[in-house]
Amino acid sequence: MNEFYILVVSLIIIIGVIYVYISRSPFDKLIGLAIMLGGAIPFIALNGYLDVALLVAVIMPLTTIFILQATGRKTDDS
Amino acid sequence: MMLEYDPGMIAIYSPTMIPIYLCGIVAIYAVIRVVMEKNTLRKLVFLSVMNFAITGLVVLTIPDIMALFAGLAYFIGSNLEANAIASTYVGGEYSK
Amino acid sequence: MTPELILGLIIFLAGVIISAFPREKDYLSRLIHVEIAATGLLLIMLAYHETIALLTFVSVTAITTIVLVRVIERGEPCD
Repeated sequence: MNEFYILVVSLIIIIGVIYVYISRSPFDKLIGLAIMLGGAIPFIALNGYLDVALLVAVIMPLTTIFILQATGRKTDDS
Repeated sequence: MMLEYDPGMIAIYSPTMIPIYLCGIVAIYAVIRVVMEKNTLRKLVFLSVMNFAITGLVVLTIPDIMALFAGLAYFIGSNLEANAIASTYVGGEYSK
Repeated sequence: MTPELILGLIIFLAGVIISAFPREKDYLSRLIHVEIAATGLLLIMLAYHETIALLTFVSVTAITTIVLVRVIERGEPCD
């Protein structure tokens, strides 16, 4: 069972990294970042660091929202 | 703080493993649909599907009360993230 | 060699390489690629079982990203 879990989560992380590289729009890159984060959270939680998983799950969307401000700003200027 | 759960104690073909397999297959399918899709707003729908599946995977695997709060925080945060991306994308598209 | 150490090393190396040579020569693209390297470093640090180091690293990464977004908004556009 543990092999299945690790295989699924690793596949999700690697697909996310490749998708961030091959996409051109910043919105698609942020969607790929969300996919990669979704793979990283069960990996943290499986080792027993549930408080770290809680903190990462709260802080990483705030980072995405701050990057989105720069995205909207860049789109309106150019 | 090392808890080191041992999920290998459960048999592979046990009936209690069926929801975990189902969540994993749904997560992989949603990720492949996100990668293959052309429209950005339709990608976000399948991103929400992946968030549901990952939350189920976290909560069903770890037998601890703290896993409920971790899953709750991840569910709220990821839905907030997807809605923020959709809101910025639509606002930038129609305000020109 | 636990699985998270191997996966973290792969993601950290991939993040550093694609942050140095991105497809779009843009500051925003490079900033998003730096986030990938940060996630890989988080997975590497997960293999050594230090809770306070993980908490501090996550917080400082978020603050660094906010400062870099301010710099990109205020600076001149990239060539």
